Amino acid sequence: MDVLTQIVTSGVAFALPLLVAAIGELVSERAGVLNLSLEGMMLTGAFAGVLGSVTTGSPVLGALAGILAALVLGAAQAVLSIRLLADQIVVGIAANALALGATTFGARLLLADGKGQDVAGFADIKLPLLHSIPVLGPALFSQTALGWVCIAAIVAVVIVFSPRTVRGLTIDAVGEDAKSADWTGLPVRRIRYLCVLLAAGMAGLAGAHLALSEVRSFTDNLTAGIGYLAVVAVIAGRWRSTGVIVASIVFGVAQALQFALPAVGVDVPSALLIMLPYVFAIVAVSGFAATSRAPTCLTRPFTRGA
Amino acid sequence: MTALTRRLGVGWSWRRHPLPVALAAIAAAALVGLVLCLIAGAGPGQTISALVEGTVGTPFAIGTSLNAASVLILIAGGFTIAFRAGLVNVGGEGQLAAGGVAAAAVGTTLGAGTPAVIALPAVLAAGAAGGALWAAIAAYLRVRRDASEIITTLLLNFVGLALITLMVNEPSLLRQPQTSSETLPQSSPLIDSAHIPLLGLDSSPTTVALLLALAVVLALGIVLRQTATGLRLRTVGLSPSAASRLGMPVARHLFVSLTTAGALAGLAGGVLIATSPFVLVEGFTSGYGFTGLVVGLLARGSMLAVIAVSLLLAFLTSGGINLQLVAGVPSSTVTIVAALITIFIAGAAAQGAMTNFSRRPTPAPTPGPAASAPTGA
Repeated sequence: MDVLTQIVTSGVAFALPLLVAAIGELVSERAGVLNLSLEGMMLTGAFAGVLGSVTTGSPVLGALAGILAALVLGAAQAVLSIRLLADQIVVGIAANALALGATTFGARLLLADGKGQDVAGFADIKLPLLHSIPVLGPALFSQTALGWVCIAAIVAVVIVFSPRTVRGLTIDAVGEDAKSADWTGLPVRRIRYLCVLLAAGMAGLAGAHLALSEVRSFTDNLTAGIGYLAVVAVIAGRWRSTGVIVASIVFGVAQALQFALPAVGVDVPSALLIMLPYVFAIVAVSGFAATSRAPTCLTRPFTRGA
Repeated sequence: MTALTRRLGVGWSWRRHPLPVALAAIAAAALVGLVLCLIAGAGPGQTISALVEGTVGTPFAIGTSLNAASVLILIAGGFTIAFRAGLVNVGGEGQLAAGGVAAAAVGTTLGAGTPAVIALPAVLAAGAAGGALWAAIAAYLRVRRDASEIITTLLLNFVGLALITLMVNEPSLLRQPQTSSETLPQSSPLIDSAHIPLLGLDSSPTTVALLLALAVVLALGIVLRQTATGLRLRTVGLSPSAASRLGMPVARHLFVSLTTAGALAGLAGGVLIATSPFVLVEGFTSGYGFTGLVVGLLARGSMLAVIAVSLLLAFLTSGGINLQLVAGVPSSTVTIVAALITIFIAGAAAQGAMTNFSRRPTPAPTPGPAASAPTGA
């Protein structure tokens, strides 16, 4: 495989879990709830995915367990930040610590003695013909079954929650002006609950994909910041689907370059490539190309009254 | 984003006393911790004795916890200053990193004969300057480009952490001279005179940094409560538009308060570098910045609470290490308990502030004069 194909292929492989999580988070942020806990949800999804696959021997049940576990964490975070009006940033950071602690604890107890290694995962499914397109073929048309589910989920969420649909507009209304949305009779809290659960489910799927399609094992802190990067991709993508997709792919390729550049003899400190996504995001939110900005009610809980 | 900060701004007028809430949260989380230890095969008696020994059992354990608490106190104290002006500084980790890098740069380049009177203040000042500069990026973007400081400071954390990686891996920057292939990617050690002296307690690693941190929060507490500056910051925090109508330079207050928060986090970075093992190495920040943010948010503007919460979290963490050594319980149990305490307090705290919150004007994109008049907290 030539270098370009390799960079594109591993770039897309890095970008896919990132994008799945980011697209879910985008919907939640548009409704006004920031989930810094995305990292914890992904990690939980990865852990439960591996545990489920080990216990049942079926990677499909494993993936479902991963999604379910992330939904539980998402539900807890939703109750705290929507019903109890807790600070979303505090809850997010604490939920990440909780997920890191709980999965590490669980791995010691349930996945000790190498049980979490080489678990039953998903095999690659290559689309005939399309797969042999040069450069893009192996990157786009060779995915595991779960990878195809991820792609389908991304497409579905982008279309179903497009700002051009009534559903999408409703979510934007809740995130931009919760009080007015409430006056017009929209169930603000219920919409937010559902959006957070959507983000959690997508993050769980992303984590399960990472663990069961790519790594096929669970190690402590498996996600190592991908969840945070997904939140950053939403910011860098300026809260628009196309922007988030582009940002995720750029971040994925930047990550692939860290490994590819030294191999071809280009001497760029990898730390500079690590910085790149965050610098992009800072430039994007600083309004140097002002077209869209954060939802007005982002991180503000809604309460009726007064 | 003033919307969020205004909401947070109600925090320091408690409707319910924070102490019982905190104690209940700690008790509930501790119960979960005991159950987890039971699952891992350690009885409650064994767990508690291991935890007590790990936290207050030896002078070494106490000293380590106190040193960790000093770092948290500095970060959370800085957070509180910016918080008073209505800003949420999520960037402690990055400012800590930038401060550490600056401190290491100065501490490794000073001549070996530099007297401690000059070397130590120079290293700490460099740390503070590094942190302030890092926060100034976010402060500038907030004031001039109206970019949310929550998001920019969060992003700058990751850039700051990568900055450490860059510094310790590049021989042309701060990496120690490579003598063999096993030379670790870290900086050379600081010159001896730049080391923070121990407090001199019997066989305790507690450093003078504890006194420094306490003095700083004491001073901050006085500034916030007793001076015109404190009142101005609070006015800006409660209503930037009203403050601006009263002729206050709102932008300057925002800028200065956020860079001050950065300077204190950077100072904490300098303290970490000037404490054993006296080198800049990846991961030296070890999440202090994020924990400091949590301390700041939980303390809700009270410097006394900053000290108390810092001590609690610092002691709990060092207790966890002993838990693993003695009782064979994964040390991640303590991570779980600390996270639960934070979540419980955060959930309960918002309930206490609710009555106050609902009276606050709804932030609109362009608040009119009536909507922006503060009703007092």
